[in-house]
Amino acid sequence: MIHSRSDCRPEQLQKALDSRLPADDEAELLRHLDTCDTCRRQLESLAADADDWADVREFLSGREPWEDRPDGADRTHETQNQDSINTAADRPQRLDFLAPTDDPAMLGRLGPYEVQGVIGWGGMAVVLRAYDRSLNRNVAVKVLSPQLATSGPARQRFAREAQAAAAVVHEHVVPIHAVSEAGGLPYLVMTYVPGRSLQQRIDQAGPLTVAEILRIGMQTAAGLAAAHAQGLVHRDVKPANILLENGVERAMIADFGLARAADDASLTRSGIIAGTPHYMAPEQAEGQPADHRADLFSLGGVMYAMGTGHPPFRAETALAVLRRICQQPPRPIRQINPEIPDWLAAVVEKLLAKDPSDRFQSAAEVAELLGRYLAHFQHPTAVPAPRKVAVRRGAAGRTKKPLWHHRPQLAWLASALAAAVGVSALLYFGPWFSYDEPSAGSPPVAPAPPRASDGQGLSPAAVFELTRGSFDRQQWETDVDQVRRRIAELEATFHQVPEPRSGQVWAEGVSQLQQQLDELRRQLDDHSL
Amino acid sequence: MDQMPETRRSLLLRIRDPGDDEAWTEFLEIYQPLIYRFARRKGFQHADAEELTQEALIAVASAIERWDPDPRRGTFRGWLFRIARNMMINFLTRARPGEKATGGTDFHRLLQQQPAADGQSTVEFVREYRREVFCWAAREIHGEFQDVTWQAFWQTAVAGHPIAETARQLGMSVGAVYAARSRIMARLRRKAKQVEGQ
Repeated sequence: MIHSRSDCRPEQLQKALDSRLPADDEAELLRHLDTCDTCRRQLESLAADADDWADVREFLSGREPWEDRPDGADRTHETQNQDSINTAADRPQRLDFLAPTDDPAMLGRLGPYEVQGVIGWGGMAVVLRAYDRSLNRNVAVKVLSPQLATSGPARQRFAREAQAAAAVVHEHVVPIHAVSEAGGLPYLVMTYVPGRSLQQRIDQAGPLTVAEILRIGMQTAAGLAAAHAQGLVHRDVKPANILLENGVERAMIADFGLARAADDASLTRSGIIAGTPHYMAPEQAEGQPADHRADLFSLGGVMYAMGTGHPPFRAETALAVLRRICQQPPRPIRQINPEIPDWLAAVVEKLLAKDPSDRFQSAAEVAELLGRYLAHFQHPTAVPAPRKVAVRRGAAGRTKKPLWHHRPQLAWLASALAAAVGVSALLYFGPWFSYDEPSAGSPPVAPAPPRASDGQGLSPAAVFELTRGSFDRQQWETDVDQVRRRIAELEATFHQVPEPRSGQVWAEGVSQLQQQLDELRRQLDDHSL
Repeated sequence: MDQMPETRRSLLLRIRDPGDDEAWTEFLEIYQPLIYRFARRKGFQHADAEELTQEALIAVASAIERWDPDPRRGTFRGWLFRIARNMMINFLTRARPGEKATGGTDFHRLLQQQPAADGQSTVEFVREYRREVFCWAAREIHGEFQDVTWQAFWQTAVAGHPIAETARQLGMSVGAVYAARSRIMARLRRKAKQVEGQ
């Protein structure tokens, strides 16, 4: 059937593109398009102009863009570690800095070392597997990336890293043998640890047993304690950086790639956040100065991963991971793996406290405690269990300085909000009152003393005391509802303030509170107070 | 998603809004391969191109401090893509293999010192940018369509197969193939417009 021009209904074409055509009309139009060249052309030019059609063909041909990312999209700037072994072959290898060697089995020479192969590539350095002839042993050589060797700051950072790491001598830290330079390239020489990383172990075998979690956790904590004693913070503790030596599976912390002297203010203040976000501490994620307690948070994440097979905070994007790290409690470890004893869950939870002052205060303390738990776990009758640690549970978000502090004309609002903050903080901190008291012989793990929240007004403990008499579920509900009403009032009032930006700031503050309250309600249900 | 580029604190503070987070993710998906590939095309070695990419992304991230969240001045996404595009044209079209980007601050100084970019490279960059945006948009919208609809588009508009033949292979009418390819094309254009920042 041949259509005449009078059959054309150009007004329907746009609707068809937007999928807004009723089924009958659509069927009619498709039939019309079977033959009408005019309408086909018009439809196509409505969809896109000729350049677009040409570009789509050129740009998309040869690519299956929905299946895999284009080359380069997933290139990362990882710190080097042994997990990179598999990817090493895929990367273009620029080893032209190596000197020629007589040994055909070797890639080349670097200083006195015969280079056997590449262990991994990172953003800053390449790690080579090499043989030290003079001492007849295998070593891992970390060479500053040739591209960076010309950059002053990168050289300094590398040198600082090497010196700092070399100062740590401990059975659970990969030893640094030498720091040197060849052909203008700085490098450091480490013990080559045959084995696999904890990450590989978890990937291959899933969650570990309680005894293994305790042992590896204890050894890692001991290694960290040695570094911390030198004023060093690792800043990138993660399963991929913990090597398990073949045979005995001794845990050794590798890659102090980001380690910096804790007093090196110039670098820590730059505010650049580097590293894998999954195990990062909240203070690192927020770009604040991080001390040794950041490593303890990461250790908590590592222990969580050993118990569950995955890191405590997961999300679609790196930024979403960071947001969860800063704002949300991890899913309780025992919900995922009920075999984890509650005392171990409490240790992990305390390590993962958002506020550094709520964590254990030293790695040595953690190592000691885990050691005692391990002894008890292996010989329950001979060794008494340490007391379960006290955890200040449920501080889901670090209390922020209220945004409205900056706006004096809103000071009156702040006082009203202080009440809200006080009550919500109280609800948060409530549960820890019921935890075990530490015994005299155990490490100092007493709950931190009640303190004023960063917001104005009453400390959680003070509010607790005031309302203790009416500590029942109904009262909490009432309080929560009251706070909620107050927020609604504040919000309404605030919208009358003319300045447009203040609206946004305020909305942010209020929505944070709202979230807290929702969380409170959930907790209330969970704990059946 | 194990790694992230170095990210300035200001960015993290800024990107609290999930909508902004999404814009930033889009930005990375488009710009990371774009800068890398453009640099390679200009003769940079792999490692240098990676280095340059990271420097460039950090520079954009640091510019986020200057973003004014006043809604009347447009969305974060629009702003981000506008500023990134300008910065990239300024930088990439001037950068030469062998030049080292040695740090965020130096990069910034470099940006400010650059006079207008040379015309040829700008055209090239805009073209590469468009390529990346189209590929990204195709990835994004692919899941919205049934496979047969997508095939009708792909076989005819991208692979260049005749429409009648494709219709027969897919068991569709010729009219349906025309409608399908145009519908996807329109959707692709709309998606690409989101970030084209023109």
